[in-house]
Amino acid sequence: MTLTRATDGKPVLLFSSGLQIRIGNLAAAGFLGLLALALTAMALQIGATHTGLFDLLAGLSGGALDPDQAFALLGVRLPRIVIGFMAGWMVAMAGAMLQSLARNPLADPGLFGLSQGSMVVIMLLLVFVPEAPRGLIPVAALAGGLAVALALIWLAGGARSSGLAILLMGIAVDTVLSSVTSILILYTPKETSYSLSDWLAGSLFQASPTAILAIGPWFVLSLVIAFLTGRALKSYDMGDELAQALGEPVARSRPLILLAAVLLSSAAVTAVGPLIFLGVMAPHLAGFVSPARGRARLILSGLAGGVLVVGADCLTRALAGDIALPLGLSLTILGVPLFVITLRLRALRVR
Amino acid sequence: MRPRWLVLVLIGLALLASLLANLAIGAVQIGWSDVLAALVRFDPDSYDHFVVVYQRLPRALIAIYTGALMAVGGTVLQGLTRNPLASPSTLGINAGAMLFVIVGAYTFDLGLTAQGIAALAGAVFGFASCLSVARLAGLSRDPRGLALILSGALVSMLFVGIANAFLLADPARRTDFLGWITGNINHVYADRLADFWWIGLLSFAILGAIARPLTLVMLGQEKASSAGVNITWVTRAALAAVTLGAGSAVAICGPIGFVGLVVPHIVRPFIGAGLGLALPAGAMTGAIFCLIGDLVARQAFTPYVLHTGVLMDLIGGIVFVAIVRRFYLTPGARGET
Repeated sequence: MTLTRATDGKPVLLFSSGLQIRIGNLAAAGFLGLLALALTAMALQIGATHTGLFDLLAGLSGGALDPDQAFALLGVRLPRIVIGFMAGWMVAMAGAMLQSLARNPLADPGLFGLSQGSMVVIMLLLVFVPEAPRGLIPVAALAGGLAVALALIWLAGGARSSGLAILLMGIAVDTVLSSVTSILILYTPKETSYSLSDWLAGSLFQASPTAILAIGPWFVLSLVIAFLTGRALKSYDMGDELAQALGEPVARSRPLILLAAVLLSSAAVTAVGPLIFLGVMAPHLAGFVSPARGRARLILSGLAGGVLVVGADCLTRALAGDIALPLGLSLTILGVPLFVITLRLRALRVR
Repeated sequence: MRPRWLVLVLIGLALLASLLANLAIGAVQIGWSDVLAALVRFDPDSYDHFVVVYQRLPRALIAIYTGALMAVGGTVLQGLTRNPLASPSTLGINAGAMLFVIVGAYTFDLGLTAQGIAALAGAVFGFASCLSVARLAGLSRDPRGLALILSGALVSMLFVGIANAFLLADPARRTDFLGWITGNINHVYADRLADFWWIGLLSFAILGAIARPLTLVMLGQEKASSAGVNITWVTRAALAAVTLGAGSAVAICGPIGFVGLVVPHIVRPFIGAGLGLALPAGAMTGAIFCLIGDLVARQAFTPYVLHTGVLMDLIGGIVFVAIVRRFYLTPGARGET
């Protein structure tokens, strides 16, 4: 492992295997990671039971926790943070992948309707085949997300249309799907209807240690996906022709990458419901911290997504007090102003 | 000219027919003659008469009011912004009115009349924020007005999000508003109609009075000013009438989306762009849509009763997809309506 300079003069860590990591990206990752840890410590403090990080550390180092504190920390708060982070990570990464794939900086699995699609199919499954095994739900989510992605390609593709027009189309598809979910809610029995409404709004209320086991494998998979697709996405950023010239088999890898992005988005939907705007916010935030490409961009976007979710969760729980504001809602309220600012910056750059 | 008048008469007849159908069909089928009898010679002892006059008639009137105002709003907005997607629901007007009603009811405990005023203020606020977001986003030079619609969608998302946060804060009151927030044509809102009907009438009156100069403005600013039209004031009066009318409709039965977007597209090929005919034709067609939509929402999914607004959103979303595809994603498509 040696420290050298890349072709553009920026310092870079060179490993003997040929792997290069830019110091700037490493620092950004460290910064975001520390931010995540700090927010975790904060999130551990917020809640009805008086306990927090120090009790957790004391408990881990062999000290005794009283049962109330142990339940609050290990049974509720920690799973909530971990699941929120993982879901945010995956949505952000899916957003970053879609942005490279569509060459549209405003691509977002929530705004494009992919998460709504996953939700509709999950609800169809729950309403019409209530006895179906729970294991089918991720499959249903994946099928729904893919169907919407293909529909969008069919509706918007072909023409070399502007990014904004595709975004508008995504929002339109979103409207259709959300009214379908509203209709479906009518058909579910009352008690399922309530829990579904919670989940529809994107929430961490159902977080529990077992739920971590359900989402964990997908998180690991997302790391593998980041490693495998990072290089390809780097060439996609330069446009299809250049990507092909660089030896990227566009015709073969594009559907695979799309599948991977939909997979991540639908895994997050299964766990916490749709998180709109996160997929566009997080990569922009990561790009602001350190303008990375390829794998580093995916990882940094993921970190930023996790940080945003944990931060938004902290904020809403601290501000809203006993009002249980669903995570998706707070992300929307936070996300629209940020999105408008992004549009503004984009317009300035175009001009 | 004659065929256009004929179209207008036909639409009027269709409106009458859908009104009668709306009054006659329901959980209890009531014959045509009974419906007419209930309207003309009300018999307080007859259950059927009671249902028609106290349940179905208020609902039908609300449907007519909302449909007419939304359709007229869509016609005027699409003409003024030269944008095929403009309507009270896509430009943040409905969402603004809804947000103000919810916030007013939750934080200041507003009564019914005050909620109506809040809805009017909210409608203006929603439209203003949509315009300012479009300007802030710096895309107003975009020739096809894409940014306007996009910022309308964003503003609506934000307002609906905030309104939902308020709803969650008070679960007890949530059930009161949950139906209203998705747009619900229901006879329980009859007293609101009784309170606010004059606003819609005023809006129609203003638009009718300026129909001629407004048509000229829509045809082109140079033409209008050479014909001696005060463009600024005509535009302002039209926007004010549309916003307030749509706000009052939202105050009554919540945001109903689809009508304002779609009706102008249906009416235009038959009637043309002249508002003198397009306004009454649009209003009546909008009313027909709401009457039929209400009927379908009540009957199609029995025993479940669907909210009219949800059904309208579904159809409206599909039409929205079609219009985006037609106007923005087809190569060489013209932005003109």
